[in-house]
Amino acid sequence: MMAQNLIKDLTRIVGKENILADLKDQISYSYDATMRQELPDVIVFPRGTAEVQAIMKLAHREKIPAVPRGAGTNLSGGTIPVKGGIILEISRMNRILEINTANRRAVVEPGVVNLDLQNALAPLGYFYPPDPASQKTSTLGGNIGENAGGPLCLRYGVTSKYVFGIEVVLADGEVINIGDYVEDFPGYDLRGLFIGSEGMLGIATKLILHIIPKPEASRTMLAIFDHLENSGQAVSDIISAGIVPEAMELLDQNICRVIEQSVKAGYPTDAAGILLIEVAGLADTLEKQVREISQFCQKNNVRELRIAQTNAERDAIWAGRRGAFGSVARICPPYIVCDGTVPRNKLPEALHKVGEIAEKNKVLIVNVAHAGDGNLHPLILFDVNNPEEEKAAKKAGEDILDACIAMGGTISGEHGIGLEKMKAMRHMFDPADIAAMRKAKHAFDPDDIFNPGKMFPPETETPQPTTGGATH
Amino acid sequence: MNKDSSRAGQAFHQKLGEIVGAKNVLTDEKATAPYTVDGLTPQAVTYPATTEQVASIVRAANESRTTLIPWGGGSRQESGPCLSAADTVLCLKNMNQIVELDAGNFTVQVQAGIVNDELQKQLAKETFFLPLDPFYTERSTIGGEIAVNANGPRRTMYGLVRDLVLGVTAVTPTGDIVHTGGKTMKNVAGIDLCRMYIGSWGTLGVITEAVLRLFPLPETSAGLYITFPDPEEAFRTVGQLLNSPLTPSAIELADSVAGQNVAEATGSKLNDGEVLLIVNAEGTKDDVGRHRKDIVALAEANRAKTTITLEDEEASRAWKVYRDVHEAMLGDNSSTLQGKASVPISKLGDMYKEAKKISASHGVKTGVTAQCGSGILYTYLTDTPEKLANITGVLKKAAADLSGFFLVESAPLSFRKEVTILPPRNDYRLMRRLKTEFDPKNILNPGRLVGGLR
Repeated sequence: MMAQNLIKDLTRIVGKENILADLKDQISYSYDATMRQELPDVIVFPRGTAEVQAIMKLAHREKIPAVPRGAGTNLSGGTIPVKGGIILEISRMNRILEINTANRRAVVEPGVVNLDLQNALAPLGYFYPPDPASQKTSTLGGNIGENAGGPLCLRYGVTSKYVFGIEVVLADGEVINIGDYVEDFPGYDLRGLFIGSEGMLGIATKLILHIIPKPEASRTMLAIFDHLENSGQAVSDIISAGIVPEAMELLDQNICRVIEQSVKAGYPTDAAGILLIEVAGLADTLEKQVREISQFCQKNNVRELRIAQTNAERDAIWAGRRGAFGSVARICPPYIVCDGTVPRNKLPEALHKVGEIAEKNKVLIVNVAHAGDGNLHPLILFDVNNPEEEKAAKKAGEDILDACIAMGGTISGEHGIGLEKMKAMRHMFDPADIAAMRKAKHAFDPDDIFNPGKMFPPETETPQPTTGGATH
Repeated sequence: MNKDSSRAGQAFHQKLGEIVGAKNVLTDEKATAPYTVDGLTPQAVTYPATTEQVASIVRAANESRTTLIPWGGGSRQESGPCLSAADTVLCLKNMNQIVELDAGNFTVQVQAGIVNDELQKQLAKETFFLPLDPFYTERSTIGGEIAVNANGPRRTMYGLVRDLVLGVTAVTPTGDIVHTGGKTMKNVAGIDLCRMYIGSWGTLGVITEAVLRLFPLPETSAGLYITFPDPEEAFRTVGQLLNSPLTPSAIELADSVAGQNVAEATGSKLNDGEVLLIVNAEGTKDDVGRHRKDIVALAEANRAKTTITLEDEEASRAWKVYRDVHEAMLGDNSSTLQGKASVPISKLGDMYKEAKKISASHGVKTGVTAQCGSGILYTYLTDTPEKLANITGVLKKAAADLSGFFLVESAPLSFRKEVTILPPRNDYRLMRRLKTEFDPKNILNPGRLVGGLR
């Protein structure tokens, strides 16, 4: 428990309307979208870099843990304050500071919601490609912490490609600027280390983002398959032909049924799997792409191919996908979302493995996948009041990650390690790999102030032989 | 060199022989002289064959406290801040194999010593290519290109080294083998050490393998060679092009000094003060056709003098002439300084004007090329060391006034120590800490990069 005088000091920094320390507030900030809870001591809402700096100087002096937090939509336990301390809530740092299309840059505070930036850019004919499913609520600072992906990343790449510069407050309160507004800058790419570091290296207080012109036109398709393997193979065929759609999302029968219960997207409930495919680019190039994609779908025995004719039809097709996780939460609040990723041509095999794992562990798994990237999101459903079922669900999650590693893949494509996958890190990396990551952490945050107790498996565990990684 | 260090050197060379075999350790001056860098001739050159051998060498160097200089094709060795010591060169030229070409996943895993052009040749047989096209691809290695973050014109469409490299295997300065990233398009498992190694100039580890993203060879390509009497019109064209839904693969510009040969190769001519704009498009026939049509119209609207459109083979030939400009401008490097300005994209025209104005007022012979989609301007300045040192200071200030940087990439040795000090930034303290954390004994490339952080 934090001493009252420290709460007073923090109150002096941010003002009494920007600090919470009651039990009900502590509970509100004790969890994210995973299933664990730990209470913070205090939640502060700084309004600018100077306040963050003052808070960190205090935290550093007193050696109090500090956990940066955006909207808390993260899916791996990244914002759960396992060692208590201060939650640095960034939602009041939410100004868009600059949009300059001629420079292709937007400068924002980290608390700006992803969709709010998109809405500001759209009238100018520009967009910021990373589009996590949580974009209505998740913050750009949080997106950087997790190196968020999203459906459009198939064509445009993930968050790390679109972050050029970051103002960071370090653990001792020093403010530095890593990366830059311009494209090439001298020195190490500290920005590369920071993106996806899950709040463990510092806190971002300003972001310089890369924005690009919207494509001239797009076409959205819904392909319906009677066999899941066929849909996976169609994805592989399209990619192998060198076609790069904007997005290619796969949903299986189980998830379609769940979605149709809450979102009326018009998805079939009797088909084994559907593919949501969107192509974009110059208007005169799209017909050919649509034709070729149709041919690949037909080759793989597509039952039906719908091509959206109006914006309303397009929006309906997307609404189902965007509402997928929420729909699951409505019928079964506790679920485990896996984020294993495999080499892109291994997707059919991976889906097959997930089916086997569900059967073996006797759990219900529904599947969504960023299919073109080989990024699976199997959702494992269970009854929270049934400990046996919960255990089986966790086991199935671990089995899926191991299967991904065995296929040359990774334990996380876009959700991060946090608390949830700390153990799996040992399956993925050698002790030397993790030791090197710790060195980077140590250079940024030698006293382990920022988000302690995450990502790295406890050193006390005996190292296991590994089977994953770049060259295994 | 005193007697003690000579004995220590011999003991270390013997150790090297045990690791890589005696024939892969050369110590006679005839063999080591070609590896002279920043005026330092190493006592030995060693050629490991595996990542494990590299790790053993680095561990031995730590024990002997002797310095190692990782070496790929050597094309960028005389760049940036100077080395402070160079005991042994660790040359990766024998680690030049493709480990795995995964056609279905569009990735290739290579040993770091493979030369870029050689890799491209092998990829082309499978109808793939790697859109990494920096200077010197005929001799620079993939590992070296990653280490120095060497980007080329195609960055406009395909992104930077950091977007093309999915994973690297590296030997840390203390001799541990680390695997970073992997084969998947998306990967957020742990701290992203892969990005740390990109552009780390061999100071945080020796890159021994890499996994890279591949792309299918485009169906067709075209190059538009457009001359403008007035640079302003060229930069206006660029601004409009970048604000359109077009996606050219390269947008390059050359002044009349740098672009003369290229203009002639395409059958046109550049008068003093005129500029050449080159726009490349690649992809499907529909896509390239539309680019050609729109860009020609844009050029006309902005009063271009001539517009020449070249296809496929013809376009490649003209492009080769343009790419050779860099080495032609550098000459023998004894009196030419090559600098790179990086400014906000919309300020590139201003930087161009400044560079021309400054070189004219200093009376320094200058050629200029630019990567217009990225705000990058290359200047080639030829004169006496005194005059070059002087003009460098002015260019650094001009770039800083436009919220950018001017960095000296190559310069005559006589004053490299002065001009390669990097422009001031507030993250250098952390960079130095990172170097110390990874390389406490300062074994790998001492002085390089970190030596320029003041």
